[in-house]
Amino acid sequence: MGAEAVVALRGHSVVKKRIPKDYRIAELDTKLRRERTRLEAKIQSDARRAGVPTPILKAIDSFSITMERIEGPPVSSVMSEAVAEDIGAVLCALHSAGIVHGDPTTRNMILSAGRVYMIDFGLSSYDRSLEARGVDVHVFFQTLQATDDRFPALKDAFLAGYARNCSNAALILEKVNEIKERGRYL
Amino acid sequence: MTVLGIEGTAWNLSASLVDDDEVLCEASSAYIPASGGIHPREAAQHVANNIAGVIRQVLSSTDPRLIEGVAFSQGPGLGPCLRIVGTAARALSLRLGVPLVGVNHCIAHIEVGRWKTDLVDPIVLYVSGANSQVLSYWQQRYRILGETLDIGIGNCLDKFARSAGLPHPGGPKVERLAQESRNYLPMPYVVKGMDFSFSGIVTAATEALKSASLEEICYSFQETAFSMLVEVSERALSQMDKSDLLLAGGVGANARLQEMLSVMCAQRGARFYAPKTEYLQDNGAMIAHTGLLMLRHGIQTAIASSGANPSFRPDEVEVLWIETH
Repeated sequence: MGAEAVVALRGHSVVKKRIPKDYRIAELDTKLRRERTRLEAKIQSDARRAGVPTPILKAIDSFSITMERIEGPPVSSVMSEAVAEDIGAVLCALHSAGIVHGDPTTRNMILSAGRVYMIDFGLSSYDRSLEARGVDVHVFFQTLQATDDRFPALKDAFLAGYARNCSNAALILEKVNEIKERGRYL
Repeated sequence: MTVLGIEGTAWNLSASLVDDDEVLCEASSAYIPASGGIHPREAAQHVANNIAGVIRQVLSSTDPRLIEGVAFSQGPGLGPCLRIVGTAARALSLRLGVPLVGVNHCIAHIEVGRWKTDLVDPIVLYVSGANSQVLSYWQQRYRILGETLDIGIGNCLDKFARSAGLPHPGGPKVERLAQESRNYLPMPYVVKGMDFSFSGIVTAATEALKSASLEEICYSFQETAFSMLVEVSERALSQMDKSDLLLAGGVGANARLQEMLSVMCAQRGARFYAPKTEYLQDNGAMIAHTGLLMLRHGIQTAIASSGANPSFRPDEVEVLWIETH
């Protein structure tokens, strides 16, 4: 069960609907769901236009998005160095388009016909800062580290993929280390 | 097995004696700042002045020859406090001739929660003054799935409370004032995957003091900050495919946070657990209990490696005492 939305398969389409969360006050809940739905649709189509594999959008209303269904396993279940490298290249393409994903976990990427598709742009934003890109990479590393014991090799492969078209990979890695150290205790 | 534990990372100095089944004795001495927040030097002086007393109280409840180990909070926490606690623990372990074990304070919060709720493998939301993390056990370690990118939720509440002129600790006062309003003022809601950030809320809330009532601000502050914590807890349950959520840490005593977590869990068919407030706040029993688990699994701390570790992260500790499925 997803955390934020109900995803229903309708033939060749996927309908993603943000359901009300009873724990949040209605005012905050409605605002978050509406804003996130609108932004998600816009960013997802912009990412696609920039060459990042993402599902094609079919329809949008206040709290739901209907999009193309991408067939394939989440990358978490088929992770390898080659896949990690492709993820690096895809994330670099997204960042180069001025977009950060916001939740680039291994469950939000699908391997389909040999390509890594990014899905769930629900927490994405337009942001070209090194900080935002670093947080993106940090989030990806965290889910990888928490779920895969081949982390060191996968991390290197990811960085190689990222560096292929993004010349600032070394800077990003430095930023990621800084962000990691920032987790506060005192 | 009977273990004596000493906690002293920040505000609550506490010593406790536990065995495998229960807490046998606990003595505590809380540091209450005369003004402002926790001052590291004053907190350390408080520890220095009271540590002999709390240990003596616990020792007098038992025959010291029955104690089989001494556990202490090695970090994370305020260095000056940790060093005194470490010194006392080393002296006690040498005097009693029993093993010494340094305990990670965050893990102790989780372990006492698991102990008191009988949970095996939950997602943990750990929220205290300095710490705010979402953790999940996986392959001999508590993995940090998400955490604050700047300040802990407790410090965030205290910081705002100070600028609003409320005495330390601010959290409980903000909670009480929040109950007096239902008028929501939008505040920065920052969630990035499973990480989150609170410093924007402090700024926004402090700014709002010029134009809105304190009750409205407290209400909006809590609703925004807690919604962020609940959202990432839910995402962690979903991502790790788990169905139990354990709340740990002093901010967990907040009734509104507990209510929101419990509603979230009910809505997705998960179970929510929080230990009693005395085990959410810093306490000696959590250190003693975790020390007992470590000693039972052959883990001891040599004097040479028993130094204070103010930035000790929970995922540095090898966890040998959990058996899943």
